[in-house]
Amino acid sequence: MIFDVDHPEWLVLLVFAALPMITRGYRLQPYPALGQELADPLSRLLELGLRFAASFAIAALVLGLAGLHLEGGSIERTGEGAHIVILVDRSASMDNSFAGRPPSGEEESKSATARRLLSAFVETRQHDHFGIAAFSTSPIHVLPLTAEKDAVLAAIEAIDRPGLAFTDVGRGLAMAVGMHNADTTPAPRAILLVSDGAAVIDRKVQDQLRKALARQPVNLYWLFLRTQGSKGIFYQPKPDEVDSPERLPERHLHKLFQTLGVPYRAFQAENPQAIADAIREIDKLERRLIRYTEEIQQTDLSALAYLLASVALLALVAAKMLEAPALVADRSSVRALHWSEGRQS
Amino acid sequence: MRWLGVSDARRWLIALAFFCSIATFVVPQLELSAKVYDLLAVIDLTGSMNVADYGDSNKPVSRLEASKAALRRLVTDLPCGSRLGLAIFTERRTFLLAAPMEVCANFAPLKRMIADIDWRMAWAGDSYITKGVHHAIAEAERLHANVLFLTDGQEAPPLHHSGMPPFEGEVGKVKGVLVGVGQYAKSPIPKFDRDGRRVGFYAVDDVPHENRHGLPPKDSMTRQGFHPRNAPWGGAAPAGDEHLSAVREKHLKAVGAQTGLGYVHLNSAASVRELLSAIGESAKARTVQTATDIRGWLAGAAILSLLGAFLLLPLFDGFARWRLKQRSIHQT
Repeated sequence: MIFDVDHPEWLVLLVFAALPMITRGYRLQPYPALGQELADPLSRLLELGLRFAASFAIAALVLGLAGLHLEGGSIERTGEGAHIVILVDRSASMDNSFAGRPPSGEEESKSATARRLLSAFVETRQHDHFGIAAFSTSPIHVLPLTAEKDAVLAAIEAIDRPGLAFTDVGRGLAMAVGMHNADTTPAPRAILLVSDGAAVIDRKVQDQLRKALARQPVNLYWLFLRTQGSKGIFYQPKPDEVDSPERLPERHLHKLFQTLGVPYRAFQAENPQAIADAIREIDKLERRLIRYTEEIQQTDLSALAYLLASVALLALVAAKMLEAPALVADRSSVRALHWSEGRQS
Repeated sequence: MRWLGVSDARRWLIALAFFCSIATFVVPQLELSAKVYDLLAVIDLTGSMNVADYGDSNKPVSRLEASKAALRRLVTDLPCGSRLGLAIFTERRTFLLAAPMEVCANFAPLKRMIADIDWRMAWAGDSYITKGVHHAIAEAERLHANVLFLTDGQEAPPLHHSGMPPFEGEVGKVKGVLVGVGQYAKSPIPKFDRDGRRVGFYAVDDVPHENRHGLPPKDSMTRQGFHPRNAPWGGAAPAGDEHLSAVREKHLKAVGAQTGLGYVHLNSAASVRELLSAIGESAKARTVQTATDIRGWLAGAAILSLLGAFLLLPLFDGFARWRLKQRSIHQT
């Protein structure tokens, strides 16, 4: 329970709360010689009460103006989830349908399907942090790991925009690992690679990846959107076929991923339904223990301050209503009053 | 009996304070309309944006960093409810990083996204700015946003002699601002190797000075060494200073006129005020109703009334009495 104000500069006005204690909140009445009467305890109490009410009203109004509130905070809780970097292939082929041609009529491009299903996935995950990286001709850093769902969804909304020419998956992956490195909160981590193709990864980049993953263990998921006619991840070459990364990049990327020394699952999807199934499976797998912080909203107390001020002011107004009216209100009697006062002192 | 008489100002002031205080519960908010903007900010990532001609000589700042700083300031200064999307430009197209999102709720991620934009994300060295702007306009139209295109306006390769490529969209349908980045004085363009290390500057012979695609201009036969088959563009190597870079204001204004976008020059990395006023002038605004908390004003009025009753009036009275006393002393 910590009290705080939004605008501390207004608190200066609190000095005015002392005013009613010093000055008179009522007018002098031209009764002769009343000042010589000894004040009875009840009157004194009443006067003190009214002064106090006025002080209190001013103080409460100032606190309301300054925006008094109970400070919010955050508590750490444990739940299910993970920090996931979504690494999206933005090569031009992603804009085709699963049949490998520009989508027509009812058809949906691979990237549009991925976008739709990934958005739904992100929205259902309660405690996850997401980061987005894209790769095509070059790796593109989009969004660092964040809990802000709006930003994640806005970044996912961009993935079905026309992409570029090539597929530089190796450097893209290195960037995704780098994004995990940059995120300092301890959490279970995963990379979800969404692509419709693969490429030969440079030896040098392979070594870098291996080293980076040894330092920063992540679960790796590859959601491969297989286009008709593509050999795919699990293709076994015939004995007389050349089994080289250039010829069968998907198969060899899959083999490389298996040797990276991190938990790895590959999903090969040929239609939107298969993508949905794969994402559901990942959703199930990535329910690991995660510590997350829950923000506690601050409690606004200014309304309470205004309420108390109103009550105090109501008392003052009531006192004003009961106050004896000015018997004579012309200048000469006031003058007489002041004259008599002047004499007494 | 004049208990409601005007003679007692205190009564009125206290009553006023009471009503103001009560009013904080009756009308805590007022619906006010505010202008907000939906923007798609496109940052040019091509080579000439690495020229460090902002900042001072002790701490030079590249055009790209200046653009990013201006965008980050913009995130802070745009009114809440505005939306900002991010895209990068190289070659001849914009690559959308994120669709427009609300600037206040997504303050932190937006700032971090802008900070992470790097010239290494560029996927090609060419810089067909006019085409890039056309493409950005098409993207912005789809996203129902205004364009905010930050570039130095240097086309690489240079514009063809036949002029700018035609704009196929509808002029003025998408509004926005072209932001000219860079100083007016020419500076050399830094050169980087494959691994991103800086290796000096571009020299005269490193860059094309004339766009020799397509047909040569009609007057090329007057050029020295002209031969219809062997040297249709003339015999001499094209001369020029395309290896130096300054903000190409004239070109950007021409692109702006062609597409219906406004233009503003980015004077310094911090000059977000000019940027905002250019957006106000050239971009399409959206009016939103925002509930504004007016309880503070009411409380302020109540406090003023009470100050009147407990400070001003007693002072008044005291002064009046002091004067009377003075006068009565003189009289007696």
